[in-house]
Order: sequence, then structure tokens, then C-alpha cells
Amino acid sequence: MPAKVKVASDWMTGCAGCHMSLLDMDQRLIELLEYVDLRSTPITDLKHPDKDGVDVGILEGCVNNSTTENVCRTMRSRCKILIALGDCAVFGGIPTMRNACSTAAALQRAYVETESTVDGQVPQHEDLAVMQEARAVDQVVDVDIYLPGCPPSADAIFYVLSELVAGRKPQLKGKLLDWH
Amino acid sequence: MPETTIVNITVNGQAIQAKAGQTVLQAASAAGIDIPTLCDHPQLHSAGSCRVCLVEIEKQRTLQPACTFPVVEGLVVLTETEKVVAARKFSLQMLFSERSHYCMVCTASGTGTTSECELQKLAYRYGMDCFTYAPAWQHGWPLDASRRFFVMDHSRCVLCRRCIRACDEIAANHTLGVAQRGARTMVCADDDVTFADSSCVSCGTCLQVCPTGALSDRRSAFAGHASECKHVPTTCMGCAVGCGIKAVLRGNSILRLEGDWEGNTGGLLCATGRFESLQSPAPRIHRPMVRRDGKLVETSWDDAINAAARGLGGAASAAAFVTSRTVNETMIAVLEFLNEVLKSDQVSLLNGQAPPTELSPRAKLREVADADCIVVVGGDPIKHQKALGYLIRRAFDRQARIIIIEDSETGLDALAAQHMRLSAISHNGRSPFEMLRYSYHLSLNDLSQFRKATEEAQRPIVAYGTDLSSGVYAAMRTLPAKAHFLPLVLGANSAGAARYGIEPRGVDADALFVMAGDDLPDGQPIPEARFTVVQAAWQSRWTERADVVLPGRLWHEKRGQMVNLEDSLRPVVQLTEPPDQIGADWMPLAMMSAVLGRPGLFASMASVQGSL
Repeated sequence: MPAKVKVASDWMTGCAGCHMSLLDMDQRLIELLEYVDLRSTPITDLKHPDKDGVDVGILEGCVNNSTTENVCRTMRSRCKILIALGDCAVFGGIPTMRNACSTAAALQRAYVETESTVDGQVPQHEDLAVMQEARAVDQVVDVDIYLPGCPPSADAIFYVLSELVAGRKPQLKGKLLDWH
Repeated sequence: MPETTIVNITVNGQAIQAKAGQTVLQAASAAGIDIPTLCDHPQLHSAGSCRVCLVEIEKQRTLQPACTFPVVEGLVVLTETEKVVAARKFSLQMLFSERSHYCMVCTASGTGTTSECELQKLAYRYGMDCFTYAPAWQHGWPLDASRRFFVMDHSRCVLCRRCIRACDEIAANHTLGVAQRGARTMVCADDDVTFADSSCVSCGTCLQVCPTGALSDRRSAFAGHASECKHVPTTCMGCAVGCGIKAVLRGNSILRLEGDWEGNTGGLLCATGRFESLQSPAPRIHRPMVRRDGKLVETSWDDAINAAARGLGGAASAAAFVTSRTVNETMIAVLEFLNEVLKSDQVSLLNGQAPPTELSPRAKLREVADADCIVVVGGDPIKHQKALGYLIRRAFDRQARIIIIEDSETGLDALAAQHMRLSAISHNGRSPFEMLRYSYHLSLNDLSQFRKATEEAQRPIVAYGTDLSSGVYAAMRTLPAKAHFLPLVLGANSAGAARYGIEPRGVDADALFVMAGDDLPDGQPIPEARFTVVQAAWQSRWTERADVVLPGRLWHEKRGQMVNLEDSLRPVVQLTEPPDQIGADWMPLAMMSAVLGRPGLFASMASVQGSL
């Protein structure tokens, strides 16, 4: 039996919905695990992709601050094939709504001006991540496979992973691209 | 009309016959060959702005937009070659990179087959799985939510200019245009002011043609996917134009109303019909009420019907008012109840009036935009029959001569080539009520000019109002036979009421029955009576004064027919079920008839509804 394909995933600025969709593969997840060695993920104990690298890296969410940029660059440097999972990773998604104004205005709105906030203030600390414009993963590092959807369907995720396991490059189209 | 020349063209190897003057797109779609478009709309002139319909045409140096390229004999077209698909994908990539096209936060988003967004559908069709060029977010894009019923989100706009063309060509309001050039181009209203401050009349025609979520309806935004909705044709009860509507329904709720492109006004609606007719202007009446110790209190149907029947049946004399905002079937029921049960012939129309004289031949609304001379005598369609007013403006844009004969200002004054005056004359009315009404006549000089204008025109239309003197009506009868007439009927179904002899009149009675429906008081007084029963959907001055209040249905909860100003019988389809099992308009009348010893009077009403 050939060696299992090493897969790691991580999430950045997103809602975790894409990882929920990944779990929605249900029994197929167990079938996949016969061929896949699931390494670090936000839903397993291992938290960082192996230093000696994995075959497939999966990123959910967009890049919008120094911390997520770091997550993104680390994954890219440690995987051979990078999958952008979901609309935030592929396009930037909902977090890009704040690109329509300045970072300062977005922070002011979120921490001070929200209707439910009393005496709010913008958090400031040297340990906090530095905010950036919200970007899709491919605006930061190269992406090999785009898997859009909000979230992508479990069928689409299964299709992509099973094609990769079989040594083919997945070609998403039709119903698999149409996530509604 | 010259016979249409047929030309032979080849599309994707298939030989098709097209009509000279057609575009490649029209010829292909007539033959069932699908060429994707974004800026093109069957109801509008082609603009060729989105470059999505690009096709390969033999002997043409570059790809050509199918929506503007005219067919000629021997044309060879290829619609889905590698080169074409690559160009289309490139156009789509550019469109997606221009602004914020994030489908997950858009009301128009849906599946590749049922999305309300034509841009999203194209992205699915051409397998777009990422943005080749990231959107340029320098400053964001403005969002104009200044109007009450719908919102313009420029971040979703693809500058197809359908809204601009709809405003020009369909509503003929000319509010929309573009500001700036190139990548900075923005759809704008008038001199780049907010929509609320502009000349926009909120007719919503732009909303109906928008291919993306740039224009979105507040009521139906995020209220349901297109795949869950059905479209039901019906007739608007907002005014006497009776525009053809396609109601978008989801379960027992109306998401929104759209103009029926196949309808009598060709898809045109006004703010009243499209938006206001779905608003709640006052609290709804859900339960019957009777007056006890001077106060209205909720009670059972039986109790209310008994009280109403006793009060009406026991009165020395009875009369009824019926709103013009209801179907013929309601009119017949009220008439029958008064005549047969209460033995009274006093039935008066509420909030409506049809011109007393019928002039023929009657014009069709479809003819209005093609008329070359339109005379409006004694009325203001822009105010009272809005869609007709917009059609008249459309005729003006096509060089029609507009003549206004009216004393007060009208919404069409700016278009008028001539504006004549009517002189008020004292009316020697027979009844005291008629003496209150104005009447007008026309000077001899104006009359001859009016006649001359219709004689010189090829397709003249005369729209005439109420309250004109018999002299003016007589003058209109002497116009040449080519003149077609449209009465400026006030109130939705006053023409239907007139068929049954119901018109506004003075009544004098001890007891009153008021069929208010979903109408509201707008000035016309209802006389005081010792006992008043009001059947109404909304609380109002009328119900506050009543001794018995019976819940009534809204226009879209009724089933029946209305007569519009074209004199055509139009179906009013029941779109939703009323709350609290509120019965049809005639049900309480039938129940009262039974109490008053005339059971079975309306037994056949249900079948009458179908056969009328």
C-alpha cells in the first residue's frame, strides 16, 4: 500500500463553516482516512503543519492581519499543494466588506460606535495583530486549487480530496461549483 | 407595411432564417440558440456595453457583440468557440474585478439555474472559481438608500445601463444617467443628486430590469430564493389603469410585485401599484366590533352580524356606500343586499368617479405610446392614472403632440405644445349634491384648435376627465373617427361600478352600510346616520364612527374582476389567504340576509364569482 497523503488544514479570518462542511463528508471522511494522514487541523490536536512538510495544505478564511498572514505563509511554505477552501479564502469573502472604508474607521465602528457599546475603546497592545486590508489567499501566496462556496458543499470537498489522492488535478465545474 | 425581408444566416453550422433588421442575438434566440447577455434586455434597445455576447462572425476582423450586430444575407456566426469563450471569461473577470461582487452577502444570489443575478449565473456557466484580478477597493462605492422602497448599491453595479434605458424608454422619466468616465463611471440621478432629491418617481422599472443586486427591493430582500417563488399574473387595483402584474409569491406572502411584460401596459407600473399597494397604511381589523356604551368592543361574528342586521333591517331607510377599490362581485353583492333585503336603491360609490359619458371608439393602453397627438381634457393622469401618464410621456418622446385642456397644473404641463383653459360654469344641477360639482366648458377658439389638432394627426387619442360640461362632451363627439378615447376614471373600479349603475350620489338614510374594503377616507364625506355598519380592512375615521365594524379583505385577498379605463374586464386573482379566516366581501352580507329572513340570497355568489 502506498504511503498515505499527508493533509493539514488551518483557518484564518472566517467563520469555521468550511471546516463544518468538511466534517459534513460524514462516512466518506472515514473512507478518505484510508488514504489520507490527517495532520494538523483546527479540529485535531496537532495545531501547526509539520515542519518537514505535508502534501496538501488547506486554508479557510481570508488574510486580514499580521497573524493570519503568518498562518498563510507558514502553510504555503510547508505544503506542496495549497487549496483555498471557501469564498473567504478564494475571494476574500465577507471580511472584505470593511475594505470599503479605512482600517481606523472599521475599528471605530466595531469597538466604539456599535449601538450596543457603552464607553467602548479600540483595543491597543503591542502583542495584538496589526490589521491589514482583507485579502484572498492568492493575493498573499500562490494557490493551486480554488474550492469556492459559502461554504463549499461536502460533495465538492470530497471530490477535490479524492481526486488529489488518486493523483489527478481536480476540475471543479457545474453542480460542484454551484454551492447554493 | 412593407413585407419583411428574410435573410439566411448560419449559426454554429445551423442554417436559420432571420428577418432583416434583426440583430444576431435576436435571430439566434428566435431559433433557440442561446447567446449569453448581461446588458441586453428584450424590452430595451441594445446598448452593447457588457461584451458578454461577443461572437465570432466570418469576415469580421474582431469578435462582435451579437446584441448590436445586424443580420445580413450569408452571415456565418459561431457563438461558443474557444476564442469566444476566452473573451467572455475575460469580460466576466473584468466585471468581477471592478466592484464588490461577493455573492454571499447579496440578495440576488442563487444557484446557477435560479439565481436572480445574471452576472452570477454567467460565472457559474463559465466555471469561474476565483477572481483573476482582485477588486480595487480604494474608497468603496456609495450606497443610496434614500428612497423608501428600494436601494441602489453601486458596489454591485456592472454599468450595463439597463436602468438608464428603462427610465428613458419604458417609464419615460429620464432621471438616470451616468457621471464620470471610464472606471469611475457611476449611474446617477439627474445632476448627480441622491435619488430622494431627484426627479425619480419610484416606479421601480429600473429595479425590475437590473441584472444584479445593484438595485434591490427592501421588502423582498433576503426574504426568499427565486427557486422557492412562483409568479402569478393578476391586475393592479391601485387605480383605473389596471396594470398587468406578475406577483412574486412565496407561501402565503407576496414578496414583491413586478410589471407583466405581456400585460396591458407592457410591464410598466407606478410606485402606488408596485410598492404602496403592499404597505399597511393603518392597523388591520382582525375581529368584528360592536359599539357598547359608546365604545367599540371586539365580539363574535354572530353577535356582530346580528347587531348589524337588526340595525340595518330595523331602520326606516337604508343606503350603502361601496368603494371603487373592489371587484365587480362585491358591487353586485352590495347592490343585491340593498335592493332585495333592505329594499333600497340608494347605493353610492366611494372614492371614485367615472366620466358620465362614454365616448367611442375606446383606445387601448398599448396604443398610447404610438399616438402622434394626445389631448388630455380635464384631468391629470400623472397624478391619478400614473402608468397612463408615463405612456403619454413615452408618446411625447416619440414626437407626439400633447395638448392639455385643464385649469389647474398637471404633471404633463411641461410636455404640452398647447395648454388651454376650461371655464367653470355654474351647474344647474337637479339635486343638491350635483350643484356642488364643478362643470367646465371650452371657448369656441380653443374648441376649433382642439378639433384641428385631432384632424391633422394620424393616430390621435383623447383622454377625458370627469365633471366636464355636456358641451365639452358634445364637442368631443364631433371629432374625426380616427380619434380614440380614454376616460380618466378616478378610483380603481369606478368603470365596473358604472356598469351596475353605481356612481357617487347623495344619499339620505337612517342607516348606512359602508363597504370600505382596503380603501381609506380621502376627503369625500360619508353622511352622518343614526346607525352605520362599516366593513373594512384598515382602521380609519370611517370605522371609528361606526356602530358595527366587520373585518374586510385586502385587494390581493379577493377574487373577481374589475373594469379598467380601457373598458376591458380584467381578472383580480387572489394571491394570499386573509388572516383570521376573514370571509369574502359578500359573506357578511349573506349572513345578514339570513338573519333578516332572506337566506340563500347569495347562495350562488360563489359560482357567480367564476362566471362573471
